[in-house]
Amino acid sequence: MTWGLHTKDTPGMGRVLIVDDEDIVRKVLRVMLTEAGYDVVEAEHGGKGIEKIGSDDNPLMVDVIICDIRMPKINGIEAIAFFRQQYPSVPILVLTGFPDTVMAADLMSKGVYDYLVKPIDRDKLLASIKGAMAQRLSLSDKN
Amino acid sequence: MDSSPEIIRILIIGAGRGGKALLELFACGQGVQVVGVADINPQAPGLALARNLGIPTSKDAVFLINQGHTDLIVDVTGDPSMAALIAKHKPPKTEILGGISALLVWKLAQYERDLRDQLIQAEKLASIGTMASGIAHEINNPLFGITGLSERLEHETRPEVVKEYVADIMEMGRRIAAIVKDLNVYAHKNSAETRCDIDVNHIIEEAMKMARRACVLDEVKVQTDFSVLPPIRGNPDELLQVFVNLVTNAVQAMEGQGTLVLTTNSVNGSIRATVKDSGPGIAPHLLGKVFDPFFTTKEQGKGTGLGLHIVRDIVIRSGGRVKADSTPGMGACFTVELPVTSA
Repeated sequence: MTWGLHTKDTPGMGRVLIVDDEDIVRKVLRVMLTEAGYDVVEAEHGGKGIEKIGSDDNPLMVDVIICDIRMPKINGIEAIAFFRQQYPSVPILVLTGFPDTVMAADLMSKGVYDYLVKPIDRDKLLASIKGAMAQRLSLSDKN
Repeated sequence: MDSSPEIIRILIIGAGRGGKALLELFACGQGVQVVGVADINPQAPGLALARNLGIPTSKDAVFLINQGHTDLIVDVTGDPSMAALIAKHKPPKTEILGGISALLVWKLAQYERDLRDQLIQAEKLASIGTMASGIAHEINNPLFGITGLSERLEHETRPEVVKEYVADIMEMGRRIAAIVKDLNVYAHKNSAETRCDIDVNHIIEEAMKMARRACVLDEVKVQTDFSVLPPIRGNPDELLQVFVNLVTNAVQAMEGQGTLVLTTNSVNGSIRATVKDSGPGIAPHLLGKVFDPFFTTKEQGKGTGLGLHIVRDIVIRSGGRVKADSTPGMGACFTVELPVTSA
């Protein structure tokens, strides 16, 4: 199987990597996503996110990444640049505490799937993830 | 017209409110030097400030007049016998500003002081604008926790999970309340006359909390070396602004990466605090300008150019002094000295 690929044959709704330094944010996302049927992997900053998605001995199947911007060590901008370069078929949702239209436009132009601002309600978040997951499947179908 | 002196040397007679207001104005100004302050009342507030600024003081106006080196005597006593005494003893070339003229200058000084108070407040509020990103981030994270868990609670029936989520929600609420409280304290406009005992170490710790909202400190290594300090008399809100501005400035100079060293110690009746960064430093020809109003090296929209100017203004008002040292490529160090028995 291709690395990190969620296919129609993979069980569950798909796997989401959550990259956020706030415990409570990861907890809420975990509760929302697992309840909706997604498998969840967590990382507390960009560096951990890169480590988890790229772990050779444990090739995770990550279908969608939810990434914060303002984080210690490796921040969201740096992590997203890495994800886009290394894993271009994995859609990224930015979930940030501070709406910045210039940054949003820049990130979207670099291929980020959606730019969401906390606090976001559950339905809107799940709708965005559903869309990202569909894009992921369509990309994997082409592979 | 004879050549005007490059620096006007001024002797102030009378150190009550009027004399003190003029002293504050002249001490911050350029091209003027206060060479002495006299008042028969040893408790006059201007005398304490003058001593802190290293300016000679005396209860005997004639003694200071006889020291010479004075271009202008400013008499704010309003006392006709003092006016006569000054006229009798002044050197021929020394001019006198007294009576209604001195009153007018005093009124202008008070007006200028009001403007400075407003400027300090305006700069503080402007800096809160730059903190918007940090504040939004800090509040929206726990807010997401509250809204997200509340949504889930509607459908949750397991008592232990309900209990856990409620505890989380309460904790997040407390976090937001603490942030709002900090902001209220910082934005609060206090009278510049407010004076109380201040622990400068505590003020610097509070300033670090605020600075974390103004700039990202995650990749800055913060080293502190605080000595136990005697309390100083001063205005805590203004002093907080001094250190918020210095720390923010240092972190911005390092572009969020490097080492920030904060030290305090007690030296000869003063406390000395330093804020040192490992940024690119300040070019020698700019070092003398960093405290000038509207001087900034930041790109447009990133700085008001008032932060360091206000630092100096507040420090001088407190009877202290501030200086900047830098070796280009080796960072910059700002040193604040404040008298233990401040004006």
